[in-house]
Order: sequence, then C-alpha cells, then structure tokens
Amino acid sequence: MRFAVDTGGTFTDLVVEQADGTLNMFKAPTTPDDPVRGVLNTLQVAADGLGMSRRDMLARGEMFIYGTTHAINAIITGNTARTALVVTEGHLDILTLREGGRTEPFDFTVPYPEPFVPRALTFEIPGRLLADASELRAFDDAAALNVIARLRSLEVEAVAICLLWSIVNPAHEIRMGQLLAEHLPGVPVSLSHEVNPTPREFRRAASTCIDASLKPMMRHYLRSLEERLVAEGFSGRTVVVTSQAGVMDAAAVAEMPIHLINSGPSMAPVSGRYFAIADENSDTAIIADTGGTTYDVSLVRRGHIPRTRETWIGQPYRGIMTGFPSVDVKSVGAGGGSIAWVDEGGMLHVGPKSAGAQPGPACYGAGGTLATVTDASLVLGYIDPDYFLGGQMRLDTDAARRAIDTHVARPLKLSVDEAASAVLGVATENMVQAIFDITVNQGIDPSTAVLVGGGGAAGLNSVHIARRLGSRRLVIPEIGAAMSAAGAMMSELTSQYRQTFFTSSDRFDMEGVSAVLERLERRCDEFISGPGAGSFEQRIQFWAEARYPEQVWNIEVPLPVSRFTTKAEVQALVAAFHRAHEEIFAIQDADSGIEVIGWMATVSCCIRRKEGSSLAQPDHLESDAGSRIAYFDGVGRVPTRVRRFEALRRGETVEGPAIVESSFTSVVIPPGASAERRPSGSLSISQGISRATRSIQ
Amino acid sequence: MTSAPHTSTANGVRLALLNNRLEGIARKMANTLLRTGRSGVLSVARDFSCCIVTANDELLATAESLPIHVLSGPDLMARSMKQFHPELRAGDAFLHNSPYHGCSHPADHTLLVPVIDANGRHRFTVVAKAHQADCGNSIPTTYMGSAKDVYEEGALIFPAVQVQRGYQNIDDIVRMCRMRIRVPDQWWGDFLAMVGAARIGEREMLALAEEVGWDTLDAHARDFFDYSEQRMIAAIGRLQGGSARSQSTHDRFFDTMPEGGVTIGATVNIDSARAMITVDLTDNPDCLPIGLNLSEACARTAAMVGVFNSVDHAVPKNAGSFRRIDVKLRRNCIAGIPEHPTSCSVATTNIADRVANSVQTAIASIGEGMGLAECGAVIPPAVGVISGIDPDTQQPFVNQLFLGFSGGAGAPHADAWQTIAHVGNAGLCFQDSVEIDEMRHPIYVHRRGFVPDTEGAGRHTGARSIFVEFGPLRGSLEVGYVSDGAVHGPKGVRGGLSGAPAAQNRRRVDGSVEELPPCAQVTLAPGERVLSYSCGGGGYGPPEQRAVEAIQHDLDEGYLSPDRAARIYHVVLIAGRRIDPDLTRRRRESI
Repeated sequence: MRFAVDTGGTFTDLVVEQADGTLNMFKAPTTPDDPVRGVLNTLQVAADGLGMSRRDMLARGEMFIYGTTHAINAIITGNTARTALVVTEGHLDILTLREGGRTEPFDFTVPYPEPFVPRALTFEIPGRLLADASELRAFDDAAALNVIARLRSLEVEAVAICLLWSIVNPAHEIRMGQLLAEHLPGVPVSLSHEVNPTPREFRRAASTCIDASLKPMMRHYLRSLEERLVAEGFSGRTVVVTSQAGVMDAAAVAEMPIHLINSGPSMAPVSGRYFAIADENSDTAIIADTGGTTYDVSLVRRGHIPRTRETWIGQPYRGIMTGFPSVDVKSVGAGGGSIAWVDEGGMLHVGPKSAGAQPGPACYGAGGTLATVTDASLVLGYIDPDYFLGGQMRLDTDAARRAIDTHVARPLKLSVDEAASAVLGVATENMVQAIFDITVNQGIDPSTAVLVGGGGAAGLNSVHIARRLGSRRLVIPEIGAAMSAAGAMMSELTSQYRQTFFTSSDRFDMEGVSAVLERLERRCDEFISGPGAGSFEQRIQFWAEARYPEQVWNIEVPLPVSRFTTKAEVQALVAAFHRAHEEIFAIQDADSGIEVIGWMATVSCCIRRKEGSSLAQPDHLESDAGSRIAYFDGVGRVPTRVRRFEALRRGETVEGPAIVESSFTSVVIPPGASAERRPSGSLSISQGISRATRSIQ
Repeated sequence: MTSAPHTSTANGVRLALLNNRLEGIARKMANTLLRTGRSGVLSVARDFSCCIVTANDELLATAESLPIHVLSGPDLMARSMKQFHPELRAGDAFLHNSPYHGCSHPADHTLLVPVIDANGRHRFTVVAKAHQADCGNSIPTTYMGSAKDVYEEGALIFPAVQVQRGYQNIDDIVRMCRMRIRVPDQWWGDFLAMVGAARIGEREMLALAEEVGWDTLDAHARDFFDYSEQRMIAAIGRLQGGSARSQSTHDRFFDTMPEGGVTIGATVNIDSARAMITVDLTDNPDCLPIGLNLSEACARTAAMVGVFNSVDHAVPKNAGSFRRIDVKLRRNCIAGIPEHPTSCSVATTNIADRVANSVQTAIASIGEGMGLAECGAVIPPAVGVISGIDPDTQQPFVNQLFLGFSGGAGAPHADAWQTIAHVGNAGLCFQDSVEIDEMRHPIYVHRRGFVPDTEGAGRHTGARSIFVEFGPLRGSLEVGYVSDGAVHGPKGVRGGLSGAPAAQNRRRVDGSVEELPPCAQVTLAPGERVLSYSCGGGGYGPPEQRAVEAIQHDLDEGYLSPDRAARIYHVVLIAGRRIDPDLTRRRRESI
C-alpha cells in the first residue's frame, strides 16, 4: 500500500493506492498549528473508509509520499531561523538590490521590499574570484574568523554563504564552510554553489538564504513526521515532493529544504500529464487547479513540465524571488472566494480580493455579505445547496442572491441571473488571461493543448475557459479534486546536477564539455545506486542552458547526445536550440551561432510498479440524481439534469445542459457541450460551439 | 466625491471583458518582445513598450511599460504613419524613430503595424517600440548629450519608413541599418523581436474582431474612453484644487548651456470643479544646440507622468483619461516641440525628468498628501554605455550597463521605491547581475551598494545613493554617460530635504581619485576604475515627523548614522543607537 498526502491551505488530501493499483481519495481539514495531526486525521478517515484500523493500514504501507506547504508558509509568516548571509567584500547589498524591476509604475503607496536577510545580518569577507575561475584576491582566514565571532555573538541560527563566481571556483565558499563547521558547530550552513549553482549572484544568494533559514525547522519537522508515522505503525519509506515535480527522501530534503518551496502545486502537472495521455493521447496540456482563493496554471509541453527560475513568494517584484528552478506555475487571485465588485466608473471586477475561508462567500452564512464566484454559481443553479462537500455544509441561496443583487446586479442595472452570469464571465476571462500569460512565455499554443481541470471549483466554468482557448478537449479527472496528491502518487525520485561552463558553437570546446558531462553523469549514477537503488527504471537526460549571442536569458535544450565528438553533433545541438527558440518565442535566427552557459543532467528513478490511476468503484450507485433549474447565458433558466460523477458508466455520454456532481466537485456542461466518461474515470468534455463571448456583443 | 456610474447597463460587463482581452493582447506582445530581444537595454532594462492605438490615433491599451515611453508618442507616430502613407495595406510595417514626427528619441526604434480588416479598412495600429543598443550615432552612445544638432548626432532617422510590404522585409532598409549600426546582429535580433511582437498583436486583433466584430471593438473603445475619463474626473475631484509653479534645474554640461544650468518650470492648475489639470510648459528656454532637447512625445508624456504620479494610480491611462489633462507646449522650446535639425538624442531622461519632477512637486505644493518629491536624475556612469575591443577575442563590444541606479522619491504615504532609475522609468528597469556583466564583457566590478546618510530626509524618505566602482579587467574601456544631478540634487517637498546629488570620479592606478565631468565619453586605461554615485531621491514631509520605528530600522540596518539621526530627524539616542521615544517626543515638541 502507498499513501500520497498533500497538505493544502484548507484541506489535507490523501490518495491511497492498494496493492492491486486501485486508488481511493480522502480529505480532512488541515490543522495549521500541527499539520502532522491533520495528516494523521486524514489517514484515520481513510482507515475508516477502507474498513480497517489505522495501525493495520499504516503497517501495510510501503511508501508515504508527502507534499507540504509548510516551508512556504514559514517564509510567508516569517517563522524561519535567524539567518546570516556572508558575501564577497564590496557587495553587501546583493539581496536588497535584487534584480530591480517593479510593477504598477504609477503606484507610490507601496514601499520598497525588505531583503530576506536584513542588512544588519549580512557580512562581507575579503577574497575575489573571476569569471574564468582565477583568483584576483585570496581568501582571508583571519577576516573570516572575525565575521564568525560576530555571528556567534549575534546568536544566528543558520548561515548562508554566497560568494561571487563560486559556481566556477567554489574554493572560498568551501573554506568559509569549513571554518564555520569548526568555529560555529551545530549551526546549519548553506553554500550557494551547492544549493543553486547558477550565475546571477542575487538568485543564488536568495535561494541559499531561504535554504539556510528553513534548515532548523524542516529538519525538526520532517524528523517528527517520520517518527510519528513510525509510532503509528508505518515502517516504509518516507519521501517528500519537491518544487521540481519529483520526490526526494525526507532525510535528504531536510538538508536542502529549498526544494520544498513549491512542494504540492508542482505535482498538479504530473497528474495532468498522465490524464492528458491516458484520456486524450496528448503530450501537451494546460493544467488548471482552482482553489478557494487562487487559480494555479501549469503546463506539459511535449511530455516535459516546463520550469522557471523566476518563482516569487508573494507578488512579483514585491515579494521574495527564490531564484531556484521550480515547476512553472502561474497563480492569479481567482477562485471560488473571489469577490465581485463594480468600480466608480461602472466596470465589473472579480478579485483579486477573496472572501477566503473566513468569512467566506455570502452563501456560507458565516458573516460574509460580499458577492463571490461561489455565490454566483449557487444563484445560477450550478451548485446544489444541500449537497456541498457531500452535504457536510448547507448553503444559503437567498444570501447569495442578496449579495449578487446588491453588489453587482443593481449597480450594473442587470437581472440577478445576468449579473451572476457576468461574474462568472469576468472570472473566466481572468483565468483565461493567466493561461495566456504562462503559455506565451512557454511557447505553447493553447488551442493545441488539452485543458485539464483540477480542484473542487474547476467544473463551474472550465468549459467556458476551454471555449475561449479553443481547447481540443477538456478533461476533469475523477481524482481532480486531489490533483496534487494524485500527482505525488505517480511521481519519480529525481535529482538534478548543474555546472557552469561557457562555450559557443563557433568555438565549441568538445573536450571541456565532455568532461563536464562526464562529471554530471557520474553524479547521476551515484544517485541511481544510492537513493535510486531498487527502483524499477532509471533515466538520465542532459540539457544545455543556451542562448543566442548577446541574449540575456537562457533556454534549456535537451541534448541530442550524451557526449560531443563530432561537428555534426554540435550542429545537431544548434539545430535543437533553433527549434526550441522558435517553439518558445515564435522566431529563430537560423544564421546565428549559439552560446552555452551551463550544462545540466536530470536523473529520474521510477518507484511505482504500475501506471494508471483509477478510483475504486462504488457499489450500485444510481447515476441519475434528478434535475434542477440552472441558468445559462443566452438560454436562460432551463431544467437541467444532474448526474452522479462516480456512477456514470465508462463510455457513457452526457449532453449539455447537464451538471455532473460528486462529493468533491460539480461539473457544469452547458448547452452545446457534451461529456464522455473515459476508462480512467475522467470526464472528457467537448466544448461544442463557442458562445463564450455572447455577453460581449 | 463619487460619481454615479456613468456607463449604461451591459457595458459594465463588456468593458471588463474586452478591456481584459485588449490588455492581454498588449501583454502578449510585450512578453514576446521581452523574451526575444537581443540587447541588454531591451531584455534587462525593459526599455521597450507595446500598445494598441485606434484608427483615430488614440491610445487604447498598453502593456505595463516604462511611463516615458507610452503615454504620448504612439498616438503621434500612428498619425504620421497615416499622413505619409495614406493607403495602408495588410502586411505593411513601418519603422519610426523620428523625434520630429512623434517618436521619443532616435534610439527608440518603433515598429508600427496597421491592422487592416477584410475590406481593406484601417482599424487599429499596433505599436512595438524598443530602445536600441546603438542607432548609428557618430559616437558609440545612444545618449549623445553633446550633439549640437541631428547631423552631429548622426543617428539614422526613419520618419515612419515602410520596412515591410506583404509581410516581407524591405531589405534596403535592413541593409542601411546594418551598414550604420555598430552592433548589426544585436539590432537585427531586436528588429526581429519587434516584428514578432507587432505581428502577434496584429494576429490577435484580427482574431478578436473575427469573434466579436469590428463595430463592437469600436463601440468598446468609445465606452472605455468615456469610462476612463469618468475615473479621471473622480480622481481629480478628490484632489485639492489650486495652482502652483515649480522648477527644477538641469546641471550645466556644456558651454552651450546657460550659466547655472537649464531651469525647467511647470505651472500646474488643478481645477476641481471642471475636473481638469492643466500643465503649462511654454515658459521655458528655447531649444539649445545640445542633445538634451525634448521631442514633442517626451514633453507631453513627461508632463503627464507628473500628473499620473499624483492621482489615484488605478485610473486607466489612455486617451479617455488624457482628455482631462491639458499640456501646453511651445514650438522651438527645450521642453516643447523641437524643430529639425534640433537634436533630441537624450529626450527620454534628463530634461524630461526635470519636467515630470516640476509637475509632481508643483502638485505637492498645492496640498498635503498630494504629489511626490523629486526623483533623482540620471545617467551616471554605472548606467552608461561601455564599449571597447576585448583584447582576448579582438571582438568589439558596446552595451549599456545597468549596474547601479536608485533615485526614488518620497511619497505622501510611503518611503521611496529605492530603484526607480529615474522618474520616466518608474523602476521597471532591471539591475544587472555583476556576474553576468563580468561574463559578457571584459570588465570588473569592484564594489556596489547603498551609501549611508544619502537619503532624502523626510516623513517619508527619498532613495539613497548607490555607489558602483568598476573598470576594465583587461585592456581599456570607454564609458559614455550623461549624469545630471551633481549640482542640482533631487529636492524634497513639504518640508522634506534633498537626496544626495550624483557624482563621478576616476580612480587612477596609483589609487588617487580625480573628478570626472558630468557628461563625457571617458577612456579608462588598464587598472583604472570609475566611481559612480547615483542620485538619491527627495524626501516628503518634515523629517521630524518621521516615525521613530522607521528611523530605528534605518539605524539598525546601517543606512543612517546616529549623528544624522539626531541632527536631521531630531531623535534622542541612548546607548549609542537606541532611540528613546519619550525623550524624542519631547525634543520634537520643542522644535
């Protein structure tokens, strides 16, 4: 038995895989004061559901796969260790200067962001290396010891070291690390060339500071998680989801917790990739996860999940940039709780403010009076007030109507139905723009991709989003309400290694590059025989980080070979770069050579015996759940059949208008669209003729 | 004052949907341009803009762009395109960089693509503009302050010259540029990026029209302009009315400039009842035989930047809100409408910044909680153009660095955004990574960081100065810069004090330091370094009103010395660096 858990902001999701490969999905509330308790509670819900004791269930477990927002929450709330930063003399303000950049150029109400490590805890040490790895000025042990004495007196709890050009010559960082180990034992240290070996000192410093600041608590947290699981009877292996859409052993990730920043959301594209192929035979997909407050979009491009180093915690340019490679996820403030409002000029807006979980939408009856997307969906008849969260919560339709009427319908002189429909229309457009932003940056034409909808609120407007994108097909996996946990179940043990080594296509250093690739491959092999021992399948992929001469940003190109020995092989790399550049940016400069800045190897070890992801089937459920009145744009209020998601037969087709409901989600099939149940259990929806912009004309 | 919603029923929804779509198109253009650009000035400094202009040459939608690029200019350029090419066809594209016909300055190559419907009717113009690493000037800089006219400046000028027909390049133009621009491959890369961006904009506009119809788009444009005007009316209504004149003096760079520098003044009148803001720039000196004269686009835009920095930032910036701003300009005026062959080589920064600063400080002087202090001036050597020949590879190089700028102004409700660059950039510019610069060019960055005690003191502080020391790693290095603000630093408002002035020095091989001129093309010999100090920014409100916690923070972080804290902010320190709040309150009350 294997367990995959994703601790989110509101719910802790659990997917259990039985020995025969069938899956079961469970949810329990997240317990922020002690997240492990929420994990154990969810395991209890599962044990109850599967009719066994929790101890018996855990005793059968081979693997526990954990996705957690614990690390990012610690950063957002400022509950990280008191961390110092050591930098090259003359460059005290790396973290404060950042990389410049600002958003909303006319807004002078937002002050300049504070650095992640205060200037008062940043220290300069003499010694300077250059881009060609030569030493301009030697490291100074005496000066370093002075700094260490100050660190001790300031009682720092973690130390980050980021020295210029350590990526080509780590000698000074290593020496500083040795001195710290000797003179400040017990205080965790992170070295930038190990944490994030990439040029751009700010990004490296940012990752290293975050990594160091998380070490004390994540060491403690992950150890306590493992201990408590063991105490409850678990004796298998515990692995943790990383920002790169892989998993690592808990003990290893505790020593490099920077990997945990996007633990959780990074898994949505892993399950999206599976369903896009299983249900629609497509290797390109857009995965949209709709939560209560945010809409998270990620991608699969020809089987690969694109990554980015520009990951922000908080708002871009105002929050904290991690500088660390992570699955590219675009988040916008659009979800079930997003608030609809009309400005003083009479224009409708939805979000970015959210009613959150408290007080929540007006229909929750918990004190909220503002109109939200959930209220609009309830007014339109898309949500069953008596069957929300499987009937755990009763919704107040009158309160929802009042909120929509007061805050949207009256100011816009619309009927309540029209107003509610407009709220969903504007929310849809916000989501569509988020998809355009990430797809244009990653060079994907949305109309050629399958749209995969996850999260409890995905079904409300995903067909409209698919219509706007011109998607070939919309897939709502049955397990979509736990997309990240499902992805974690399918994930592989991964690691990546990187080395900076500059060469250009016109003066390609074959020997130098081959030596780099050999070193990288050796590290991958060590991983395979170490953490990857006993895995079912192993893969190594080499990458070049390349650009046209004078370009500033690089793109990652998979290498066509694992060593370079002939000119033709170099030409093949150049051709692969041109193709990749055209794919992402729509242009190529075919006559130009290329420059390669760095080289990378990714290793993945498959740890799951079996592909596939079908939920266990319920016994004898009636698929017809009656009908109710729902409003559709351009049609008005019409009787709409309601069907039970889990009871639909494989291959059965549902024509719109219809609503397909489960305890976890409600999928609206508007007139013109039709849905078919796939063998995997997913609903595969054909969007039908586009009517998305009716309200515009 | 809140006005009743002005627009009719369903339009509140259509406005939201279509505005979102149009901004999305402009953003898609900008993302494409940012990602594909070759030169650092484009991909690092974000010195580019993308926008959509109506068939009547009214600015409709923009991607987030540096303000000096886009408020006015695209409208003027689109108009000149139509004037010179009355018959526009699908597949046409025009290269425009003429400051005499609506462009900001000659380094800002602009690609204009008319969007033509199936009946051959011109519906919209999409605009992609990007500052080039080189534009063929007589010396390797795109900011040639010393140019006495456009002939000495030497830039190739393209007044809406056709560069594509039937979606194919007109290679004559491309060859001209390649023969004259120092880094032809970089230019070509940026040109391709602009073409890509403009064509994506065109394609998306055609697809949108296919979906909703051209008439709907036209109706939306009308409604959106009205809506934006209403927002502007409401925003002006919340300001205190009044009139004020404020001045800002550009340092003297050359003998051809008046003793004491060029003083720029703006008279601002806020008419709350009529909801109009008038900016009069006519009472300013005539054009001078230098490269600092403003183009019409920059004169108008700089005035509007000062206004929009002072009103609710949520007001949309387009031809609708612009109806409520009247900018009065004069021909042959340094901050007005230049006449050929006046040089406007440096039009986007120096004098333009003095205009915007004059406007926002004038507004600050009208009422408490309004306007903004002065942002710092530019362009210090650390943001200059470097050039030379790499002794290792014998390859020539030229590029603009972005190693150290600050300049943010104190605001009514917040401290400065430190890295604002200058008022016309608004901080969108990225700062270079030391490692990336050292990898790309044979240079060495010895130091960079904030200079303590250089902030514009105030209730809300202006930015601190940034110091950068750099030079050639091997061989020699040329650095061109146009550094205003050494004499006339950024002024504070409403009792706020000035931020630190700019400075630039050369450190010789023997370690001695000599002062460098404010505007120069300096050659650094092997082993020499330039010391570049950016301007800080002015403070807002009296320093003695600054919150004690904020001062303590500045002390703790090493930005502020105890001596300056006591002297300027009137705090009482105990045990060296701790502020005593009670003693401080009493001391401040006794002022």
